[in-house]
Amino acid sequence: MRRIGVVKGLKRFSLFRFAQPMVMALFVMIQPAPSPAADRIAVFPTTPFDAYIIYESLAVLWLAIIGLIVIIRMKLREIERIQEMGIDKEDKDAPLLQ
Amino acid sequence: MNCPKLKNWLEERYDWEGMKRFAKRKLVPEHRYDLWYYTGGITLFLFILQFLTGMLLAFYYVPHIDFAHKSIIEIVTKQNLGWFFRSFHHWGSELCIAFLFIHLFGTLLLKSYRKPREFLWATGFILLGVSIFFGLSGYLLLWDERALAAVRVATGGAGNFPFIGGFIKAFLRGSIDVTGDTLTRFYAFHVAILPIITLLLVGLHLLLMQYHGMSVPLSLEKEKRREIPFFPNFFYKDLMVWLVVLGVLTTLAVLLPPEIGAKADPLAPPPENVKPEWYFLFLLETLKLFPGAILGLNGETIAILMVSCAILFFFLIPFFDQRSARGEKSPLFTWIGVIYLLYFLTMTVVGYLS
Repeated sequence: MRRIGVVKGLKRFSLFRFAQPMVMALFVMIQPAPSPAADRIAVFPTTPFDAYIIYESLAVLWLAIIGLIVIIRMKLREIERIQEMGIDKEDKDAPLLQ
Repeated sequence: MNCPKLKNWLEERYDWEGMKRFAKRKLVPEHRYDLWYYTGGITLFLFILQFLTGMLLAFYYVPHIDFAHKSIIEIVTKQNLGWFFRSFHHWGSELCIAFLFIHLFGTLLLKSYRKPREFLWATGFILLGVSIFFGLSGYLLLWDERALAAVRVATGGAGNFPFIGGFIKAFLRGSIDVTGDTLTRFYAFHVAILPIITLLLVGLHLLLMQYHGMSVPLSLEKEKRREIPFFPNFFYKDLMVWLVVLGVLTTLAVLLPPEIGAKADPLAPPPENVKPEWYFLFLLETLKLFPGAILGLNGETIAILMVSCAILFFFLIPFFDQRSARGEKSPLFTWIGVIYLLYFLTMTVVGYLS
């Protein structure tokens, strides 16, 4: 991730720190005003702020899932490599250090 | 992760290493149809999620005719993430039944039901029936006008079954019509009776699968194929698929939360354009094909009888298909499976669009 130095000696800022409130503000601005019909029950949070938080969490969940899949895939490849080499079985005669 | 103390503690009490050796010894065949193996795992994962979210919802749900609808509104509007867990439970049930159907038709078309796995097929088939009843009983708990109308139609349809129809209808409703007694009964089914039956069936299904091992399609039985250990190779692959399913389920729960209709009124006329859940659409469309009376007999009764016979035949396919049992190809039963699948899909789509 690219970092921007603002002034020499000052705290360095990450782009994400600015991006998140900007996207949030944009999301809140483009959300239509809630207009629940008289007989309809709101089955999803109606305020734009809550909706934004929920969609953001959903995006984070998908990122976490992708990350976990990548890690499991790497682990699986390593297991397959060890199995192909035939060194995954425990050596019964190996000397033990007490 | 390496915890020698915990390992030793377990090893002193149980044959931990033996269990590990057993999991590693179990092999899963690798071939071009092995994708179907994952559908069973996905269904199991969805069942677990349904149990967990169901428990959370049960903390706040009130199974009483006067408070059921209100308690669901309170779950959705007042409890923290209540709307999410309700939506997750709803979409979990839809996906669970969808994957049960996929698993069932996959088993049928690959002839995995053949000797000696007839009881595996039977337990899976009954599990699908139980899951559909799970869906219907859960649908009524909402106690809105659509749920009331759907359960009236479903229990009324069961009442048209000759000889025992009246008893089934009375047993399900607990009264003459769908009332508060039905709600109490369906709640008992949904949270106590069906979960126990499901646990027993899932346990038996897994035990039988463990005993017989994974089935290989007939066409690939004589081919030389690779086998991978269940643990860790297949388990990790299963885990990745489960993660994707979890993501899809969460996305559906967030983007498409199910609506709540107006509170059910047993004295009010049923609302227009009420459709049952998608897995009942093929039944409804089949009933529509029959006239009101055939040769002086009730058309609906004849339709229900014919559908029941077709379902019974479907259930008994492993016992009829003797060629597959002998390890020979049986194109007749492949075609029967394809016809069943096409009929189910066509009628469901027709029902959805009409």
